[in-house]
Amino acid sequence: MMAAPNPGLARAREDDDRAAARTRIAVQGLAKRFNTSGREFVAVDDVSFEVKQGEFVALLGPSGCGKSTILNMVAGLLPRSGGRILIDEDTIETGTVNPRVGYVFQRDTLFPWRTVEQNIGYGLEIAGLPKAERARRVASAVEKAGLTGFAQSFPRMLSGGMRQRVALMRTLILEPEILLMDEPFGALDTHTKLEMHKTLLEIWERERQTVLFVTHDLGEALTLASRIILLSARPGRLKEDFDVAIPRPRDPVAVRETAEFGRLYSHIWHSLGEEFRRTRAD
Amino acid sequence: MAKSRTVILFWQLAILAAVLVIWQWGFEWSKALLPRAYVPKILDPYFVAKPSLIWQSFLRLGCFSDTAGFTTCIKGNDNNLWLATLVTLKNTWWGFLFGSASGIAAGLILGRSDFLARVFGPYIVALNSIPRIALVPLVILIFGLGDLSKIATAWLVVFFVVFFNTFEGTRAVDRDQIAAARLLGASEFTVLRTVVIPSALAWVFASLLPAVSFALIGVIVGEFIGAERGLGKLIIEAEARANASEMMVAIFVMMFVGILLAVAVRSLQSYLLRWQPQFEPSA
Repeated sequence: MMAAPNPGLARAREDDDRAAARTRIAVQGLAKRFNTSGREFVAVDDVSFEVKQGEFVALLGPSGCGKSTILNMVAGLLPRSGGRILIDEDTIETGTVNPRVGYVFQRDTLFPWRTVEQNIGYGLEIAGLPKAERARRVASAVEKAGLTGFAQSFPRMLSGGMRQRVALMRTLILEPEILLMDEPFGALDTHTKLEMHKTLLEIWERERQTVLFVTHDLGEALTLASRIILLSARPGRLKEDFDVAIPRPRDPVAVRETAEFGRLYSHIWHSLGEEFRRTRAD
Repeated sequence: MAKSRTVILFWQLAILAAVLVIWQWGFEWSKALLPRAYVPKILDPYFVAKPSLIWQSFLRLGCFSDTAGFTTCIKGNDNNLWLATLVTLKNTWWGFLFGSASGIAAGLILGRSDFLARVFGPYIVALNSIPRIALVPLVILIFGLGDLSKIATAWLVVFFVVFFNTFEGTRAVDRDQIAAARLLGASEFTVLRTVVIPSALAWVFASLLPAVSFALIGVIVGEFIGAERGLGKLIIEAEARANASEMMVAIFVMMFVGILLAVAVRSLQSYLLRWQPQFEPSA
């Protein structure tokens, strides 16, 4: 683990990075319409945003606002109805899975017939990496995730938090520069969630992947992200865009006591509150 | 509180002993003690033999009590108990193997392709509604009295059972697991190999256990209807001579063959599905 740098310096570096950084994800006029029994309903309507190299962007919005739909379209898991998505200036073909990005699901998608190390090594295995090299990298990932001693266990023997660590490592071991996360800690209890935040912050602050992180948990967004994109209630539209200028390295508990956290929390809370009321009024 | 293993074992042995005793002496006792109208016909050794006679028949058919010696006896009879068992077991095994292999292959292909599933769906339902046993005379007409017709009968019985389960299992694969595999770089074939097949395996195995019994039934029925060798043939011959004890020998041997095959499939199953909670190696 790297030594904690001067927080002021880290923040300045983050700002520098952003000014100079190239755009990794560009979403332009994205739309998604579903047809359910002849009735069309608009899930996502004309959403545009960009994510730059090394940014950690949280996509925040009330349930059902289409934030996961946006993420799935970026991953190519879902065909889009309109607009464009570019990753590194290449247009993503609609509805074709894009293995250049790493994706972490909310639901448990581990392969239950594979052990922890076989799950983590899955991507390397199908990429045809030599066995010895694979074993070395898997062992280091197991250690990094705090799963030492569980390498030979099957997923059903693990707790929800440990399973999600395995899922995270299964994705991170391929060293994706772009990471898409769909409420990955949504199903975990508060304590486990904070531990996962700690793990993710450590990894991200060291490796600086470009992250698009979907969540409806405001505290989670503020803890992790450098930027928050707030979406409106259905149909999902862009509502506001905030920088989260909380210095790094962050600690998931201490971060809640910073002034910036409190200020953004109450501001976004009110903005979110309007959207929740609109959802209920529908 | 659960009864201890010894208590359970005691009752199991007690029931076995009671059945054997009643089977052996029940008919004579009831003839001696009861008025004629009340003597249970079901215990008549003419129909059901009795343990001592069955044992003697076993020794005779198995060439243990032959005066000419074991080897000469084996060579003298080309449908002796050992050869008959071997033939039936071999045909069951091949029928089971071909039936389950083709059932799994067809189930995977149709399970992964909506188009093919819809085209072939009605044909499979129609074929499946034919009672398989009705086809046995036809199979024997086509493949003759030898082993091939028995293997074909077992195949017919096994194929559909395994096919339907594999098909359903393939349909039930978690879509998110497939998406996860794709996002980790898996091709369509890799998804099939590393996600669909392992995931459908639990369903496949659920059908293999009944399938192995069905294969045995198929072979025996084939041997009843027309065969030169095998345990079914042994029964038909014993019936022609109204020899109940020889039939019972063949039935008991079939029971052991059935148990043997079931144990083999089950141990393969518990190894391949060891990731599932119900197959956790017991302490």
